[in-house]
Amino acid sequence: MARATTDRPASRADVSDLPNLDVRRASGSRDPLLLTLLPAIVVVAIIGGWEAWVRIAQVKRYLLPAPSEVARALAAEPLRYLDAAATSLGAALGGLLIATLGAFALGVVMAHSRALERALYPPALLLKVMPIVAVYPLFLIWFGFGIWPRVLIAALITFFPVLVNTVIGLRSIDPQAHDFLRALHASRSQIFWRLRLPSSLPYLFAALRISVPLSLIGAVVAEFLSGASGMGQLILVANGDFDTPALFGAVIVLATMGVSLTVGISYLERRVLDWHDSYRGV
Amino acid sequence: MVAARASHWKAPLLVATLPLPPAAVGTPAVEVLDLSHRYASAAGEVVALEHASLRVAAGEFVSIVGPSGCGKTTLLRAVAGLLAPSGGEVRVLGGAPRDAQRAHALGLVTQDPGLLPWRSVEANVRLPLEITGATADVSALLERVGIARFARYRPGQLSGGMRQRVALARALAHGPRLLLMDEPFGALDELSREDLRLELLALWERERIAVLFVTHAIHEAVLLSDRVVVMSGSPGRVAADIAIDLPRPRTDDLISTPRFVALDAEVRAALRGSAPATRGAR
Repeated sequence: MARATTDRPASRADVSDLPNLDVRRASGSRDPLLLTLLPAIVVVAIIGGWEAWVRIAQVKRYLLPAPSEVARALAAEPLRYLDAAATSLGAALGGLLIATLGAFALGVVMAHSRALERALYPPALLLKVMPIVAVYPLFLIWFGFGIWPRVLIAALITFFPVLVNTVIGLRSIDPQAHDFLRALHASRSQIFWRLRLPSSLPYLFAALRISVPLSLIGAVVAEFLSGASGMGQLILVANGDFDTPALFGAVIVLATMGVSLTVGISYLERRVLDWHDSYRGV
Repeated sequence: MVAARASHWKAPLLVATLPLPPAAVGTPAVEVLDLSHRYASAAGEVVALEHASLRVAAGEFVSIVGPSGCGKTTLLRAVAGLLAPSGGEVRVLGGAPRDAQRAHALGLVTQDPGLLPWRSVEANVRLPLEITGATADVSALLERVGIARFARYRPGQLSGGMRQRVALARALAHGPRLLLMDEPFGALDELSREDLRLELLALWERERIAVLFVTHAIHEAVLLSDRVVVMSGSPGRVAADIAIDLPRPRTDDLISTPRFVALDAEVRAALRGSAPATRGAR
């Protein structure tokens, strides 16, 4: 799809998450370096203020550790965090992958047949409204304490957004382009590959952006419930020990994972969808 | 018919091998007999067309003019095989519209051109070749409609007039024997309209494929056509069928000649006569 990759202004990526602020226009001719650094400056200010407050007010360590303490906790056992992060990430991404493939395949079927859509939508909806955490004990009985119950929880949580977006996306074709292809007696598969699939990509990326954090939540919650290894277990243990710096460390690791994945998806999206209205002519 | 005239081309663009049996010279491109179309809507049954008949001879340029909602587009879509009319008969190149689709004998240009935004101009024009398996010199075709230097642009980077040129090139790429145009210049500014009109005129006078052209611009219809079919308002019927006996090749200069003015007035009068007083303002 990404047959041409247009070069974008460097500042584009940094402000893309602040669509309504229009930082660039407001700043006029001001230093673009400042704009790039602005978010970093805010983060540093928050951390500095936190550190200062904890030290000056002498807040108790188990209530709110200073950032330096959190950093020390992370630095003391980096492998423990990395190991747990890798386990959780594997479960989350494994689940997301299974859900994306399955939901996309099902979405293709549903987008092509109203009858099948009617037949399959209620069970799919059931998956969505069901409190997925409640079936976890069942998964433990079925699949044991390995990684599979966690993978399945992550998959179940992310399945529905991908399915719905796939169906909507595959149907969101330009009727004139569709007419043109039909007038040429294009086959269903020609229409699928040349029109439906590319048209659905913006929706698929929207689904992924929703699903990535959901898959992490699914994996971590599953680890809470079963005490299986991973970030969830790390948090449980830290909690039991009143080791609040380790707890904060775990939260920071999880946040970093979520942010990295989201940034990765956004990068891929900008590459693949450089033709799309939302990225064009900036 | 087409082959005989292809020799006028500098670059032979219509080299597609058509699986359609060679039609006798006398076979009309389009025959619409007693066409009716009604459909159910929230406001009750809508009669879009009633007993409409028209004919386009091989190599003839016929325009349909009429007020908004007179069923022009419905008629064109029935000819393209995109809509199954509720009554009457449509024959395209001697067969059913679906047969003409199957033979890749149709080219479609709509007001909103329905180009694929993720494809370059060149790739858009190549689309019908991918679908039909026909071959053509795409760069010569782009040259012909004056968009060669935009070959690598995306449609989103082009003006409306340029996009319609792409749509025209795309509709001609696979060597159709009938070009169906639904208000192709309707959304353009007046200057672009004029340019494209003359471009189409020159193109057609070299190529002489049959054209069915829907418009509500009267002088556009008179300038381009061999015949102008005037349709009346709802329900749509054919109110008049006016032969345009202006000499060819035609140019812009014709517009001020007495004969042009007289024909223009005749079409206008037929339109007014066909319209009930209440919708005269249209």
